[in-house]
Amino acid sequence: MAELDRTAEAEPATYTINQPTRMERIIDHLKADWQIYLLLAPTVIWMLLFLYKPMYGLQIAFKDYSVFRGIAASPWVGFEHFETLFTNDQFIRAIRNTVTISALGLFFGFPVPILLALMFNEVLSQTYKKVTQTIVYLPHFISSVIIAGIVITAFSPSAGIVNSLLNWLGLDSIYFLTRPEWFRPIFIGTGIWQEAGFSSIVYLAAISGVSPTLYESAVVDGASRWQMMWKITLPSILPTIIIMLIIRIGNILEVSFEMIILLYQPATYETADVVNTFIYRQGLQGGQYDLAAAAGLFNAVVAFILVMSANSISKRFSRTSLW
Amino acid sequence: MRNLKLSLTAAVLGSTAMMSPAFADGHLTIVDEPLELTIHMHWPRSQGYQEDYPVELAAREMTGIHLIDQTAGANSTDSGEAMNLLLAQGNLPDIVGGHLIRQPVNEYGPQGAFLPLNDLIAEHAPNIQAYFDDHPEVFNSMQAYDGNIYYIPYLPDGLFGRAWFIRQDWLDALGLEQPQNVDELYETLVAFRDQDPNGNGVADEVPFFSRAWEEAIRLVTLWGARTSGSDTYHDFYVNADGMVTHGYSEVAYRDGLSNVANWYAEGLIDAEIFTRGSSSREFLLSENLGGVTHDWFASTSGYNAALADEIPGFNFIPFLPPEDINGVRFEEHRRIPVKPDGWAISFSNEHPIETIRYFDFWFTEEGRLMSNFGVEGDTWNMIDGEPVFTDEVLDSDRAVNSQMYEVGAQIQRGYWQDYRYEWQWTAEAAREGIELYMANDLLLPIFLGVAFTEDEQAVYDRYWPSIRTYMLERQQAWVLGTGDVVEDWDDYAETLDDMGLQDVLGVMNQAYARQYGG
Repeated sequence: MAELDRTAEAEPATYTINQPTRMERIIDHLKADWQIYLLLAPTVIWMLLFLYKPMYGLQIAFKDYSVFRGIAASPWVGFEHFETLFTNDQFIRAIRNTVTISALGLFFGFPVPILLALMFNEVLSQTYKKVTQTIVYLPHFISSVIIAGIVITAFSPSAGIVNSLLNWLGLDSIYFLTRPEWFRPIFIGTGIWQEAGFSSIVYLAAISGVSPTLYESAVVDGASRWQMMWKITLPSILPTIIIMLIIRIGNILEVSFEMIILLYQPATYETADVVNTFIYRQGLQGGQYDLAAAAGLFNAVVAFILVMSANSISKRFSRTSLW
Repeated sequence: MRNLKLSLTAAVLGSTAMMSPAFADGHLTIVDEPLELTIHMHWPRSQGYQEDYPVELAAREMTGIHLIDQTAGANSTDSGEAMNLLLAQGNLPDIVGGHLIRQPVNEYGPQGAFLPLNDLIAEHAPNIQAYFDDHPEVFNSMQAYDGNIYYIPYLPDGLFGRAWFIRQDWLDALGLEQPQNVDELYETLVAFRDQDPNGNGVADEVPFFSRAWEEAIRLVTLWGARTSGSDTYHDFYVNADGMVTHGYSEVAYRDGLSNVANWYAEGLIDAEIFTRGSSSREFLLSENLGGVTHDWFASTSGYNAALADEIPGFNFIPFLPPEDINGVRFEEHRRIPVKPDGWAISFSNEHPIETIRYFDFWFTEEGRLMSNFGVEGDTWNMIDGEPVFTDEVLDSDRAVNSQMYEVGAQIQRGYWQDYRYEWQWTAEAAREGIELYMANDLLLPIFLGVAFTEDEQAVYDRYWPSIRTYMLERQQAWVLGTGDVVEDWDDYAETLDDMGLQDVLGVMNQAYARQYGG
């Protein structure tokens, strides 16, 4: 793939000369595999409509946008919105919080689905496997509002199970959800509980794709189950793991903010306020779409840089990459 | 299909209009030939204007004007979003109405999206003009920054919203009187905490609670501080010198909050007030745990009937606000006389005069009664000169307001609410409370907001959201015992100034003076 790109760049001359034949080749391709392209078409159209066309609107980040005047007629203001954002201490704090929450979430949350998948793979009893899988998938299907309700109740100082346990151990109750130092552990823990099971499906699929012959020959060679997991299963699903990691890194500024809005308080803004919640509050004060677009654009640029670097680092060291 | 249905309705209407004797004199007729106007009406209860509301059908007969629903964003419950969708589409219906239209209408009106109504009202809307002549402060508050008004608002009636409530049966059980000042309130709360008024042998009472944590902050008013000048939390207010200012930047607030923090630490305020949320009143009352709250008259009084069987003797009644440390008795919360809801005329409307006359129709005696009570003979009757709901409406399992929304009354068109509508279905305990509050001079002047020029708006948008966030963060931290408000005060005041509070107050006062002739 990469080699192809390089040739294309190095020889622009051949490019133009070959164009007619190239065109014919494309038509031949389409004719031969039209069913496959037909299947692809809805996704491509969807992407053009919902991901590429809206990019036209990105310009409002540099405009004094009025809904009524429309995008084209709103006056340009240059980098004013970016200045407003970056001179605001609360925005800087929100970026710091976003990165911290995401990085901690990645560090603690990323390995969990892999571990779960490996564990499910080792379970022998089919009934037990199915029951536990259903149990860990379940929270994914509950809406955030209900999850937040469960969390608030569980950590309530008077009736919550967590404080009841603390009291039983002879410790004092803690009003967890008003303590800035407790917000991140609770938020990240909730995220893991909610999503780890469902995310493990990808890895389970990858594991089921590992060729059985590898295991058979390992058994012949007298490998233990532990050795097979380390030497066969893990290396075989490594490309999947890395792809998932790159995707996660690209989304590092996208913290699930509806959950934060449900759980945070002014008292915990210090550790809980992320870019999206900041924008949500600012935007509420009069529909500042232009400012929100500026922050969104900033998010996207950072995500782009992160994905590109993660991809090239991975390409260099493990020869696995998204593209 | 839709068109067919519409023309059928029109045909049926045409025939009933000819036969109906009630409106036969036609003194409210605006147009001789039926006129159709399109309307956007997005509000919380319904994302659209139903053309078969009995009230709409009757108004059509009386005026000749027929509203056609053309609401944008009907699949969203967010009225602001719907409005933006509508504006972005560009082709506006003749009438744009519904929930929270003030901000967009006053922002995009001067840009040409909506018609200024000042001259139209003066020339063609005598009833609306009469209202504004009697309520100049409402008129002033509605102006956009260019001095014009762009919408006819929903004007709520009634003065009091929230009141202080106490478990009178607990007071009786402990042999106490209703608290008349801060110190007595403190002693009462301590007694509720320590003397087991619910008699279950466990110290589980929650002396002061509220559905909204902001009400715990409002306790600072007992120390002469202010938390808001309107019916919105954390709003600005107009002080005794006629200047717009913010309560959270004043020394009285420091002292008040310091005491509130003590009350919280002593367990007099619900320990979980910040997370318990909107169901806390239901929970704490029905579990026989809550003692005192500050909440709406009507809904809070309702618990006496609802819990009569479960908790013997349950008696949760309004009492007068305790006197503050300066010996002043006041109720900070009050209903706002003008809402940001209503309707406006869009630039593409080809019949502005007919439209403003139609708006004016809802301010005539007949129109106002219909917008409040529904169609006469259906949901209410005139008895001794008073509009009285039918027994069917009053005795229904469903709240009167929900029934009104369904017939097209009490919906967020531009209309003037009539308090007699609510009074008829207010519980006896609440009526007594309202009369008690009315008999005392408890209300403070209300701050109805200002309209900024674009430059002022830029200053406000740049500084205020961050300042507000900072104020609330510190506020909760102090109440929760992270830091001490008295020790931290100088830092706090300095930070507020660094963050631009004086600039915000500057544009606030500039706009206020321009708008209210201060």
